[in-house]
Amino acid sequence: MVAKTKYDEIKKFEGDLEQCMKCGFCTFWCPVYQEEWVESSVARGKNMMIRGLLAGDLEYTKEFAARLNKCTLCMACTANCPAKANIPNIIVAARADTVKARGVKFPYNIVYRCVLPRRTLFGNIVRFASWFQGVFLPRTEGTIRHLAMFLSALGKGRNIPQIAPKFLRQIVPVVNRPPAGVETRMKVGYFTGCMTDFVFPELGEHIIDFLTRNGVEVVVPKEQGCCGAPAFLGAGDFDTGRKLADTNIKAFEDVDYIVSDCATCTSSLKDYAKYLADTPERKEAYARFGEKVYDISQFLVDVLKLPASAYRAAPEVKGKKVTWHDPCHLVRHLGIKDQPRQIIKSIPDVEYVEMPNADRCCGMAGTFSVYYYDLSKKIADKKVESIRSTGADIVVSSCPGCEIQLIDSTIRNKLPVKVMHIMELLQ
Amino acid sequence: MIKPEIVSQLQKITGKEGVLTAKEDLNAYSYDGTTTWTHMPDVVVLPTTTEQISRVLKLANENKVPVTTRGAGTNVSGGSIPIKGGIVLCTVKMNKILDINKTNLTATVEPGVVLQNFNTALAKEGLFYPPDPQSFLGCTMGGTVAENAGGPYCVKYGVTKQYLLGLEVVLANGYVMKVGGVTVKNRTGYELVMLFTGSEGTLAVITKITVRLLPMPAASKTMMAVFDDMIAGGQAVSNIIGSGVVPAKSAFVDNFVIRRIEQMTPMGLPLDANALMLLMDDGNPAAVETDTQQIVDILKKSGAKEVKIAKDADEAAAYWKMRSAGFAAVFGAAHTVLAEDVAVPRDKLAEFIKKLGEISERTGFFIQYLGHAGDGNLHPSIFTDIRKEDEFARAQAAMGEIFRAALSLGGVLSGEHGIGLEKQRFLKEAMDPVALDLMKKIKGILDPNNILNPGKIWEEEGA
Ligand SMILES: Cc1cc2nc3c(=O)[nH]c(=O)nc-3n(C[C@H](O)[C@H](O)[C@H](O)COP(=O)(O)OP(=O)(O)OC[C@H]3O[C@@H](n4cnc5c(N)ncnc54)[C@H](O)[C@@H]3O)c2cc1C
Ligand code: SF4
Ligand code: SF4
Repeated sequence: MVAKTKYDEIKKFEGDLEQCMKCGFCTFWCPVYQEEWVESSVARGKNMMIRGLLAGDLEYTKEFAARLNKCTLCMACTANCPAKANIPNIIVAARADTVKARGVKFPYNIVYRCVLPRRTLFGNIVRFASWFQGVFLPRTEGTIRHLAMFLSALGKGRNIPQIAPKFLRQIVPVVNRPPAGVETRMKVGYFTGCMTDFVFPELGEHIIDFLTRNGVEVVVPKEQGCCGAPAFLGAGDFDTGRKLADTNIKAFEDVDYIVSDCATCTSSLKDYAKYLADTPERKEAYARFGEKVYDISQFLVDVLKLPASAYRAAPEVKGKKVTWHDPCHLVRHLGIKDQPRQIIKSIPDVEYVEMPNADRCCGMAGTFSVYYYDLSKKIADKKVESIRSTGADIVVSSCPGCEIQLIDSTIRNKLPVKVMHIMELLQ
Repeated sequence: MIKPEIVSQLQKITGKEGVLTAKEDLNAYSYDGTTTWTHMPDVVVLPTTTEQISRVLKLANENKVPVTTRGAGTNVSGGSIPIKGGIVLCTVKMNKILDINKTNLTATVEPGVVLQNFNTALAKEGLFYPPDPQSFLGCTMGGTVAENAGGPYCVKYGVTKQYLLGLEVVLANGYVMKVGGVTVKNRTGYELVMLFTGSEGTLAVITKITVRLLPMPAASKTMMAVFDDMIAGGQAVSNIIGSGVVPAKSAFVDNFVIRRIEQMTPMGLPLDANALMLLMDDGNPAAVETDTQQIVDILKKSGAKEVKIAKDADEAAAYWKMRSAGFAAVFGAAHTVLAEDVAVPRDKLAEFIKKLGEISERTGFFIQYLGHAGDGNLHPSIFTDIRKEDEFARAQAAMGEIFRAALSLGGVLSGEHGIGLEKQRFLKEAMDPVALDLMKKIKGILDPNNILNPGKIWEEEGA
């Protein structure tokens, strides 16, 4: 029996739904529409499909979901919408309403409901479950090496980094104090995110090192979990989202600032209040938590207010030409645009070049790229051409998801650039 | 409902990926920019070549299946709505710029090319195509020809029809016909290019467009003037044009729009201004300087409280962005927005604005307006709700009064948006009956089975 879908979550965003006046401007900005050229791929069409859902003309069928989900949640439509209609809000809400009515499907139910909320189990599974691939992945061309679970799902023949032999949580202590002789200016919690924890632990160590040397005591709570983006944004599983939100809030109770090196995590942590608050208490707690969360570049520039001299080039990037890719979750979800550029431009021994369309989506978008890998590749190819036109040696970003996409697509397009996290530029 | 064998034949023509039949997709091609009209097609076809379009039309004609051509669906008159079902033929995948000729100052494009992409390509060559409907980020070249669109630039440069040199069109029976050419002068027979210009998809499908271009003007200046009174603003435009300077662009918004814009995207507009006018002058730098001074003087003499000259290109762009946001401000303001598109002779603008005030008072509807002003084209809008039968009927009656007021001043029913479905009930009053009959006869010759965008422009007999 399929329970009757009620669309309570969509109704919370009715303002956005009604606000769209069908001008079609979003067709120009939507990375998906610009590849597919069909109306259901763009915000205007998706919005009208959802209006059809509420009117009872359409149902949330497989066909419906297939079209609705063809969206990277990049927010390019909203950012450029003259009516400021936030269609991605409605898309996420529509996913949530369906999950409420029908539940999450196997194997995602196990992954989202049982694995994501349990950090240690998650870690172990990431390491041991390579055979899980078969269950998890749609069949693809190419082979997948080394990776398991959703990382391997992201893999799908991509050129991606290996799972680290040791996870960040196993390497670093909970409390990391500034070295002797450096005064402690403040205490912050470090939200490591799954990618840094499991794939790029050196990045995490480097960030802790940089912060402590600049007078920040860094706490890495062991109880922290996944930010929840794949569950509540990607799959509309708000129950799991709440479980993760509550866990993370508890883990970071004792700090005033929480920094993250992943744009998606940062914006998802801040989005708890918008999507997941189901009681007044949660609304308040989620909002308070969200205010404490900072992207790492924003934290360095706006909170720590480091002087330009604090930004020195790591030895391997000296003399190189560097360009910046704006992660959607940073530039549009959070409006962070200048801070990373300011940091890169402050580094004396690197040359900064702005790429054309730096803020255009790279096409990664988590589960989107699992389902629509070919489409995701086409979107990425446009990004690669932007990077190529700059002649840069290094493309930096601050979202491990984007980085995986950039690594894969630059290799595929034979563009010899190095993909790095912005913090890796710094000594 | 369409017969399954027709769908499978369509699939043979364009390939499976070019034919959409899922209910979700049909829903997504059931609307345009209006708030009042929707209708589902039976099937959506996305051709990639003229030859495919020719085969689709031949098939449709033989089987008497309606075909509604659609570009980006940004029109605001119901033009691209498949009101009789059948096929929506969407041109957006035919989006190649075929030729830009810098020495002949011409370009040839496929119909699905988005206007903004065309402008970007031209800008790289220092070239300029003036028609600028404010939907330029979405609308297609084919749509602009079929609607004979024009934007703020038309004050000085005219609208789409002034730039068309040649077209390739596919007739209802599938025949691919060329009209016009690539020369600026062409006196070979009737002006058939004009026949298809503004034809709203009812006479043929446009598949190739050749336009003439201009070199990009070397300099431009944008001015913003604040008026206490819409009527004084309207008079100022007439005064400027009367003085012998024709601004390149002009646009006009009222207090309602100013407030809405500030609410949605704050940009520091004066909230107490009753009317804001934007003007641009362009040309060679020296001339622009003197013209600008002259315009500023006249604006002040005509009662402008404040005149600002944009200090650089960014500030100018922000002003014009406000104008395009104005549309959104209006259309998102109510459940149903009835937007007029009347144009009056430019020297009658102030008088027309006065009449609008009287109509508003008489009918009790708040009338909001924004427009181009310098070309006499205004968009008075009434906010209503189609779900409230009685109110909606009164709103429609008020729209009738607005249109008749424009007509009495020598104006026209539609300045730029076309007739489509939205304005057909006024057409009889707006045209010489013999001319209307001639249009129907032309339609009968070109499309005897009435498959091309049926139900548009004029009301059907007995309806
Ligand atoms: C925010 C906003 C601002 C606007 N501003 C302006 C403005 O300033 N000036 C102005 O003039 N208009 C304006 N418009 C109206 C509209 O954008 C224009 O009419 C535009 O030219 C329509 O182009 P389109 O590609 O969207 O055509 P569609 O809406 O898809 O179609 C319009 C009509 O043209 C026909 N058609 C489309 N392509 C073809 C083809 N290849 N062959 C034959 N028939 C075809 C369709 O059947 C339909 O009747 C505005 C609209 C919006 C939403
Ligand atoms: S979402 Fe915004 S940009 Fe897109 S059609 Fe609606 S109003 Fe226009
Ligand atoms: S969020 Fe991005 S991908 Fe999704 S509809 Fe908007 S522009 Fe398109």
